[in-house]
Amino acid sequence: MASGPAAIARPPRHVPSAKRRLLWAGVAIGIGALYWHAWRDIDGSFGALFSSWGNLGDLLRRSFPPNTDVFHASVDACIVTLDTALIGTTIGLVLSLLITPFAARNLSPHRLVYEAARVVIAFTRTIPAFIFALYMVVVVGLGPYPVALALAIHSVGTLGKLFAETIEDMDMGPVNALRAAGASRTQVFLHAVLPSVSPTFVSLSLYRFDVNVRDSLAAGFVGGAGIGFLLFNSIQLFQYKDAAMELTVLLVLLLAVERISTLLRARIV
Amino acid sequence: MRELRKSFKRNDPVLKGVDLDVCPGELVVVLGANGSGKSTLLRCAIRLIEPDSGSVTLAGQDMMAASGAELRDVRRRAAMIFQQIHLVGRRSALENVSFGGLGRVGGWRSLSFRGFPPDVVETAWRSLERVGLVDKAWQRASTLSGGQAQRVAVARALCQQAEVILADEPVSALDPRAAEDVLALLADIAHADGLAVACVLHQPDLAKRYADRIVGMAAGEVVFERTPATIQDTEIAHLYLGELDG
Repeated sequence: MASGPAAIARPPRHVPSAKRRLLWAGVAIGIGALYWHAWRDIDGSFGALFSSWGNLGDLLRRSFPPNTDVFHASVDACIVTLDTALIGTTIGLVLSLLITPFAARNLSPHRLVYEAARVVIAFTRTIPAFIFALYMVVVVGLGPYPVALALAIHSVGTLGKLFAETIEDMDMGPVNALRAAGASRTQVFLHAVLPSVSPTFVSLSLYRFDVNVRDSLAAGFVGGAGIGFLLFNSIQLFQYKDAAMELTVLLVLLLAVERISTLLRARIV
Repeated sequence: MRELRKSFKRNDPVLKGVDLDVCPGELVVVLGANGSGKSTLLRCAIRLIEPDSGSVTLAGQDMMAASGAELRDVRRRAAMIFQQIHLVGRRSALENVSFGGLGRVGGWRSLSFRGFPPDVVETAWRSLERVGLVDKAWQRASTLSGGQAQRVAVARALCQQAEVILADEPVSALDPRAAEDVLALLADIAHADGLAVACVLHQPDLAKRYADRIVGMAAGEVVFERTPATIQDTEIAHLYLGELDG
């Protein structure tokens, strides 16, 4: 078959119908209206952004040099934040491991159980950790503890969802093999499911810890603990030099945690 | 009385009422084209798939009447071997074999391999010896060759201390030599250890050399059931051709 470039037929130009063009015009107007409303709603003003350059400069001037006196307090608070994330992630991990077998479609003993587990996961995942922290403060009082509990609750949802999806994607062969050998549900989960998914679970948990360190900052404002709370206070009290030091220490912490988490995960998978 | 009998009926019949007996000390090979219902037959036997009707009697126990813990108990007496082998890749060969004994390990002891009762681990070890793989006991299952992995799966079935072994195309993924090894092993287990072994195969020549009885299946029915010596090659060829016509 001889076919040069000339032989290739040019596809006919696609002309959208009038109806489709009308549809697209409608969509464009709709999106435009949405943004117009949103900008109005937040009192957006380009003018304010440009006329307040002076404030920003002032802020920076008052932030330098960072106050070295609060260095130790910042490091201590960072350690509290890390501990909060560690305990919160661990409790969340244990709880989500308990709920996961019921939340994975291919393991769940009954449809209703599956739906119930999914509701728990959706609820705890959708509501941000600092909202749970607001409630936990009422329950157990101020401090890092309610923050850790809040992180734990939120982690049940986030980890539970990812764990369940991992299990739904796994090879069911060994699971059926053990089931056929007369193993119980618990035994099947421990010896066929967990070994297959454990590298992914470890990786997901490390990532969750990484995220929880950051989440514990915002939740820390509420609970009154950790580096997030120190930073919040310093800014509220116009102590910008303190805030600068705290922010620097915090930045180093976050970068270190993220780096270590990434390195560990790369080694596992 | 250790016999296995089943007959099933379905609306879109995969199995149109099949009767099959497997006796202790006997290797029965089931031949048949893809879709003839061989695998369904085996899966129905231990109710991994629920048959619509019919009955299965395993070592004198009625499979159909059992439920819950009782069903697990009866299932334990029939071990299954799969074409895709289905070992837990990230566990050692010995651990995989001992998982066959999980049905006998109760409660807290089965939480971790270290807690398994010594007799289960010992049975696992002897089962590995039986299939000639003790030197691989601590090797991860995912690093074993196909033939070795299938022998580990046979050992797992042995560790289950079942009275019946159901093998679903156990050698389809293996090279001829490994296939030979596995089938010789299955035959030996039937003859020397007195287990009832039912094995679905796609290799007529292997079937003729190792089976005590060959069952030919086509379109959900048993077409013939005889000893290898009395079976003509044309009969076997017809199993696969018949499927093409239908």
